[in-house]
Amino acid sequence: MDRKNPSPQGETARVVVEFLEVAITSIVFLKGFYPPGAFERRRYMNVVVHKARHPQLSNYIHSATSDLLPFIEKGLVERVTVIFYDKEHVPVERFVFKLNLNQSYSSKVEENSLEFALRAFLIKLTVAKPVTKPLPSGSSWEITAYFRALAQDDSKEARLWIPTDTKQWLQPPHITPIKSMSSEPLKVQLYLEHPSPSEPKVQTG
Amino acid sequence: MAFEYPSHSTTATSSSASGNAKKRKTRSDSSSPFPRVRNPRNSHRPKNSPFADFGSYMVDKNKKLREQFDSAASTSSIQDSGDGKKGIFHGVSIFVDGFTVPSSQELKAYMLKHGGRFENYFSTHTVTHIICSHLPDSKMRNFRAFSRGLPVVKPAWVLDCVAANKLLSWVPYQLHELVNKTTKQQKLSAFFSHKGILSLKNVETPVKQNLKADAECLLSKDEGPRDTVLSVEDQVSECREQGSDDNDKTCEEKSSEAKFTDLEDEHSVVRASDSSLHTPSYMDNSSCIDHKNRKEASDIKCARASNQSHSTLMDPNFVENYFRNSRLHFIGTWRNRYRKRFSNMLSEVKGSKANINSGMQKPAIIHMDMDCFFVSVIVRNYPELIDKPVAVCHSDNPKGTAEISSANYPARDYGVRAGMFVRDAKARCPHLVIVPYDFEAYEEVADQFYTILHNHCNKVQALSCDEAFLDVTERGNDNPEQIASMIRKEIAETTRCTASSGIAENLLLARLATRSAKPNGQCFIPSEKVDDYLYGLPVMALPGIGHALGEKLKSRQVETCGQLRMVSKEALHMDFGTKIGDMLWNYCRGIDDRMVEVVQETKSIGADVNWGVRFDDITDCQNFLMNLCKEVSLRLQGCGMQGRTITLKVKKRKKGAEEPIKFMGCGDCETMSRSMTIPVPTDNIVPLQRITKQIFASLHIDVKEIRGIGLQISKLESVDIRRQGHEENTLESWLTSSSEKVKAQHKKISSSVKQYTGEVSSADAEPQPKCINCGNQQACEHSKSIYIKETGSCPSDVNQCSTRSHENRTSALPPLCHLDIDVIKSLPQEIISEMNDMYKGELCLFMEKCEEKDGRGDAHLSAKSPAENDTISASSYQQVGCDTSENMTVGPSDSGKLDSSARNKGKQPLCYPAVCMSNLANESKAFNPEAKEFTTEMSMARTSCKVQSAYASCSKSDDLLIRAPTLIDLMPSSLTQADASVLEQLPEDLKVDIIESLPAHRAVNSVGNAPHGFVGAFPNSVEVQNSEYPESHLWSGSPPKWVEMFQTSNCLILNIIAEMYTKSRANGLLSSIFQSIFSFLPSTSESWSEEWDEALSSLCELLKQYVNLKIESDIEELYNCFCVLKRCCSMSNLLLEVYNNVLPLLQASVSENYGGTLKL
Repeated sequence: MDRKNPSPQGETARVVVEFLEVAITSIVFLKGFYPPGAFERRRYMNVVVHKARHPQLSNYIHSATSDLLPFIEKGLVERVTVIFYDKEHVPVERFVFKLNLNQSYSSKVEENSLEFALRAFLIKLTVAKPVTKPLPSGSSWEITAYFRALAQDDSKEARLWIPTDTKQWLQPPHITPIKSMSSEPLKVQLYLEHPSPSEPKVQTG
Repeated sequence: MAFEYPSHSTTATSSSASGNAKKRKTRSDSSSPFPRVRNPRNSHRPKNSPFADFGSYMVDKNKKLREQFDSAASTSSIQDSGDGKKGIFHGVSIFVDGFTVPSSQELKAYMLKHGGRFENYFSTHTVTHIICSHLPDSKMRNFRAFSRGLPVVKPAWVLDCVAANKLLSWVPYQLHELVNKTTKQQKLSAFFSHKGILSLKNVETPVKQNLKADAECLLSKDEGPRDTVLSVEDQVSECREQGSDDNDKTCEEKSSEAKFTDLEDEHSVVRASDSSLHTPSYMDNSSCIDHKNRKEASDIKCARASNQSHSTLMDPNFVENYFRNSRLHFIGTWRNRYRKRFSNMLSEVKGSKANINSGMQKPAIIHMDMDCFFVSVIVRNYPELIDKPVAVCHSDNPKGTAEISSANYPARDYGVRAGMFVRDAKARCPHLVIVPYDFEAYEEVADQFYTILHNHCNKVQALSCDEAFLDVTERGNDNPEQIASMIRKEIAETTRCTASSGIAENLLLARLATRSAKPNGQCFIPSEKVDDYLYGLPVMALPGIGHALGEKLKSRQVETCGQLRMVSKEALHMDFGTKIGDMLWNYCRGIDDRMVEVVQETKSIGADVNWGVRFDDITDCQNFLMNLCKEVSLRLQGCGMQGRTITLKVKKRKKGAEEPIKFMGCGDCETMSRSMTIPVPTDNIVPLQRITKQIFASLHIDVKEIRGIGLQISKLESVDIRRQGHEENTLESWLTSSSEKVKAQHKKISSSVKQYTGEVSSADAEPQPKCINCGNQQACEHSKSIYIKETGSCPSDVNQCSTRSHENRTSALPPLCHLDIDVIKSLPQEIISEMNDMYKGELCLFMEKCEEKDGRGDAHLSAKSPAENDTISASSYQQVGCDTSENMTVGPSDSGKLDSSARNKGKQPLCYPAVCMSNLANESKAFNPEAKEFTTEMSMARTSCKVQSAYASCSKSDDLLIRAPTLIDLMPSSLTQADASVLEQLPEDLKVDIIESLPAHRAVNSVGNAPHGFVGAFPNSVEVQNSEYPESHLWSGSPPKWVEMFQTSNCLILNIIAEMYTKSRANGLLSSIFQSIFSFLPSTSESWSEEWDEALSSLCELLKQYVNLKIESDIEELYNCFCVLKRCCSMSNLLLEVYNNVLPLLQASVSENYGGTLKL
């Protein structure tokens, strides 16, 4: 790709990926999955955010998001989710970033307005604690991306992503929107998914 | 287990401490019958000895209290009459926990009177019994910790002891027994409804009875050395279609099977006569314990009994031996033997089955049942036993808890029943002879029995090894009574055992008749006597009515069938549900419409072991599981079945449950089960073991807690059928409408496919037996062959592969009348038009005829358009790997093409768009299995071609549709290139047709108007059109149209909303508008109905369009909007109405776009 004159999609994707890394870290911090000491305060887009101290954790989030870059750019990624599981590995909560990158957009990207819109997510996330559910003990989490189509080219980037067999909810989940934005060419919506009350409970040992 | 102890002890201290606290409280405010000095310093203790600490204070306090108690006792006790007789409670020291009836003070008074002791503070050293009526759940769960092994008894025990004037056993009064039975805390609602109280009573009585029985067990246990009678529960796990019928033989036997486990004991009659001192060995003598050990074993607490012999711990071949010694297992597996042995007879019957119901003869059913089968088979070889009471059981240990499985009639006269513990039976009938099982003899007799039955009648429904229904309707000229007596005579001669039979017109009555006939008799209930017979019959005698149902009926004063008949069907449905209600209603009238079914399908095969299961570590457990798998695998192979779903059921000791009374039994358990379905059925042990291991691991269970394991295989398929290939398939629905002819045609087509596979560039289109789903294959072959034909017949220059065989192929064309119109209809449009070509336009006519639609058929078909269509299809088929979208591109200027496809649409409005969509799904389904045989690339490409072409054709006409939200990723980009002007050039009637066929797409509607950027494509938007503002979009323009409309409205609330909107121009979000009108709400009156209606419809409309507008980009705003609206609902009925009106649309839209519902 032409570094000097990137396409609006490439530019946007870069911002999104960076944003996702921060936002996912914020979610993990918000959920209190790790002790607060595992994070340090940083400033991003002029907002106070948290960054994982542990190299492994920060590396996981960073690599997961940055590996999405080529796919986001091509508009192949539909959703990026942060899934929290209980000890039976059944999802209890999912943070869903629904992405939509307009592929036919060709004018210049207003990076400022984009960042302004994305910043609202980070602010909203810091106060989203009440709508989340407390984590059960023995829980785990992971980042999952939903692709619109499988990557055709068997490139190196594509091979970094493996298909999951994550347990699905049987009933349509309950959705709690957290934040939505639309700033050409990007649309992002962040919402929470919880299992619906009619979801059959898995018998726990 | 070890890790549990610390937690127990901590809770123990806390719970007893809380008990103390409570005690202190009750004590201080209760009026004591005797003077008590509150301040310990004022007591007789020297004043100058201050207490070193709290402990010493308590010691002193307790001592003082005891002294006070003694002194009070000496005055009030009735026992010091001088004869030295001690009070009934001598040696008993109670501690009262919590609220009791009678109160703790009264209990104390009883203790005083009758020589017992009463402790104010709990201590294991002094207290012998804990008295309480209720326990909190937390104590219940840690019961052992709470009670410290002491009996926890209800206060009624004290009262009853006083009443009986002797010390009764406390066992029946145990609290924990009661709670275990009823488990749940009572709900508050139970106290309010009269019914609740009633049912409570109902619960209590049976429980009491149970407890008493348990008490006897325990008492006898206390007296003698603990008996090591073993019991085996083998839930024979073949589900039959009439499971209950299979199991209930005589009433008594039924109860044993339904309620209890089957008791078995290796320690049987064969055992040495003097072995009472010796623990019997179960399967192998290595696990024998000597007398001494046994005595010890009897002394230790039940809780420790888990590590004994005969369990899975000691016996490496436990599973094998277990099933070898199980009677229920015998009964269960007998069916398979039966099926195999008599399979040829059964198949004969199958053939004649069809003409059975043709004759309208009066049905005659014979129910044949061997008399006390398990006993009489044994007794026939011991003539000296014939008139003696005999019972079959594993053990003849007179103190054993083995259960009797069958007893002969002399024994029954003594009250010996099946399901009884041996010791109870012996108590009733001391000279009862107990004989062991002889499974070989049972098998032999059962075979003889059935051979005779099959000789006399070809419609035999086997219920069990000794019980069957015969349908002798066909032998109408013979008297059924004569047939029955003939059969019985023959049975008696051949087997030297007697059988009884009941004859009636249906299964129910025949079975009932047998009961009156027993033993060794027969009974005929003619249809006119049915009513009299049933009238006085107790309801409990009816099959299918057990204890629970019987008790329920009894509580409604229904005890006989006559009384039951008084109850209306509706009332029965209300009380018992439809199924049981119907059953009751029918049965008490002697109605039973079941047929004698010769072959019953096996639903699942498996093995359960719920006795003697104890594991020390995971390897034990794995071993056991592997053996269980082996057993199940053998059973599957034995039945010639393979299964796909593997279910593992694990019984886990309930938390806090003690070691069961029944030795090595499973006790109080919770059952967990998990299952897994595999794609290919199996009976092989290897995958079975692997999957079982996997399932077991997913349960995450402590192996020490496991008390029973069962493994079931369901979704069974016969091995033979599987070899032939599947007959059922998922696509069946797609083809079901096909007539036989069409099916034949399918075959023809697929054969033609075979013929031309060489020409088609696919790798191998040969139908392969290994293909997972034959039907799918057939379906895809069908569509494939259509392709072949089309490509073959169309005179397209792109088509190169098949010109050679052109003639050949057209000759394979089936006659028009053989086509299934439903299948054709669901094909993509181009294919239809191509086929139409092949049939020289007749197909369209045919279809028109079929649909009785007036079409403009072939007259409109220009020469050009089909050719082009052909090009599309042919090229999409051929140009595998090429950029198909290019081929698919429909040029906007190409009006002729659009014309043709649009016209096709006109002819077949049903196809779009729903059909197309389902068609897509169908096709992708059909192609998936195909992908296994073709190269992946190719099928992928073709699928996408088809998808595109199908979609292109369906959406060419709705060219103004800017976006199709559901299929955005599948849509070819060429769609957007289509042009409205093309559509406008179409003939008027055709346009109308198109518009009619696409009601869901509003875009078509706006042909005449200026198209707007955002047009929702929801089905619901049809409503929008039909309502007040059909033409315009409320949210278009700036400011949006609705603002003006609302401003000019008569309705105050609408005016306010419009005003707010103009004020808040900055963002223009509805949510903020609703937020700001919040304060105005109380002032707006909502009286005038016309205004109300207008406001309601306007607002609903506004919101609906708002939902459509925002759903994709901003659910946050919608969420906020509806949250505010919901808050407003409490203040305004109008908004409540609006909210309720629009909410379904919102949720539907959200679930369409996000796959969930908003949590509002």
